[in-house]
Amino acid sequence: MEPRRDDLDLAAELRALRPSPERTFAAALDARAAAGFPRRTHADYSPISSLAARLRRLGPRRLLYAAGATALASIAIATVVVATNNSAPEPVALDSRQGVERPHHVQFSGSIPKTANGPTESSAGSSAQGDTSAPQFSTEVPPSEASADLARGRVPHRDIKRSTEIGLLAEPADVADDSADVFSAVHNVGGIVLHSTTTAGRNTGANFDLLIPSAKLGDALAAFSAIDEVRTRHEATTDITAPTVAIGERLQDSRAKIAGLLSQLSAAETASESEAIEIELRDAHRHAAALRSQLAGLHRRVDYSRVSLRIESGAAAPSGSWGIDDAWGDAGHILVIAAGVTLVGLAVLAPLALLYLLAWLAYRFWLRIRREQALDA
Amino acid sequence: MSEAFVAPATDAPRDGDLAFDELYRSSRDDVYAYAAGLLRDRAVAEDVTATAFERAYRKRSHFDPSRGNGRAWLFGIARNAALDEIRRRSRQAELVSDPVDATSLDAERGELRLILVAALKKLVPRDRELVALKYFAGLSNAEIAAVLGISESNAGTKLHRVVTKLREACDGAP
Repeated sequence: MEPRRDDLDLAAELRALRPSPERTFAAALDARAAAGFPRRTHADYSPISSLAARLRRLGPRRLLYAAGATALASIAIATVVVATNNSAPEPVALDSRQGVERPHHVQFSGSIPKTANGPTESSAGSSAQGDTSAPQFSTEVPPSEASADLARGRVPHRDIKRSTEIGLLAEPADVADDSADVFSAVHNVGGIVLHSTTTAGRNTGANFDLLIPSAKLGDALAAFSAIDEVRTRHEATTDITAPTVAIGERLQDSRAKIAGLLSQLSAAETASESEAIEIELRDAHRHAAALRSQLAGLHRRVDYSRVSLRIESGAAAPSGSWGIDDAWGDAGHILVIAAGVTLVGLAVLAPLALLYLLAWLAYRFWLRIRREQALDA
Repeated sequence: MSEAFVAPATDAPRDGDLAFDELYRSSRDDVYAYAAGLLRDRAVAEDVTATAFERAYRKRSHFDPSRGNGRAWLFGIARNAALDEIRRRSRQAELVSDPVDATSLDAERGELRLILVAALKKLVPRDRELVALKYFAGLSNAEIAAVLGISESNAGTKLHRVVTKLREACDGAP
């Protein structure tokens, strides 16, 4: 449709009313355009805004490279930290002196009597000749009992329970032979294999739960240490003198009570009286039997030491035999850690980024509404 | 008034300073005319024009030719700057147009311009913005539609209504 002549005249008159910029303003703006539109206000030169301006000048591509490099560096650092923590040795030391917990203990310089048949501080060294990680036994002793015995001027008799954990490092092919050596060593000292498991495959290894006569514990540990490389070794002792003595005394009381009841029974004159004494006697026998059982258990704990032995192989292979398979394994391990670190980072950043995006969208929407409302004011 | 500049994709501002410089030279006076027509304050219009070009210069790498040509993109930025200024100042000064030199024209034309100036003053800001975009800045209907975020036919309809209002004001003047 052709525009009306009136409209054309009106349009021409409107164009004639077009405002034109002052020459001074146009010249100043041209100069600013030639200079790349430097910022005008003094506030724009704050450290933050100057940093933002510097980042803006980098351009999106360079910013992307910088952000990517920063993210990669962060992932690498976090991976190293996590991998270092994961590969750090267990909080035990080859030297059992550092591994034994000593909540409250007294070290005996004298020899431990027969009931505590295990190696003493001095005998341990001789029984584990060549073993640099020979244990130093420490015993938990209630200070009052020890001081009371010492005050009486006699060497205290202590019942000591011992437990040991030992970890051996072996080549996967040697695990079977090492296991056989363990059985042989246990047999030689008259020990008992309570439980044993052997795992084949990539994580080849074996676990043994053993009872070793305390008198031959040092010999057994020396034999185990000679089987393969000792990786970890923990030894702990617990003084069970107090419960042993208490139960022994209760057993003596029970026996005395039985003797008394037997006397009463022999002197009983009526059938009902005899029956009542017999009932009481049966209860006393049951009680004495239970005490004997408890005492025997305590003596077993003293006479036999519990040893937990673990043979490991695989990733922690000895240095010098590290090969391409280990490299693949380590590389996979590092990649898994890096992926985990990245995943954790994304899990942290994704909600923050989503919140930021939502806030930004809400702000843009609000700003658009406000701008449009400005024309309606 | 400069001719409508339709920046080809290869000359888009994001492609470099050269394209932006060309856009600046072709649009400087038009942006000022739009801002002055909308805001009716010469000093504020100068400030808004400078701000618009500053923002456009810093965002030149973000320009997407598929979403409109360079002028539409630039006037979108200028419009936001102008509306921000209106919000900030919450006032509208008197329109400062070039003085109408009625003596240099014949009597009938001089009288028409005076009536037109009076009619423009009475327009609401939205209508005045349409006049500023179309007749002061020289944008096409398609460019106006891109700047305002409406369809081209809607932009044409709105413009027609504004022109009708102005013509009625002129016809109804004593």
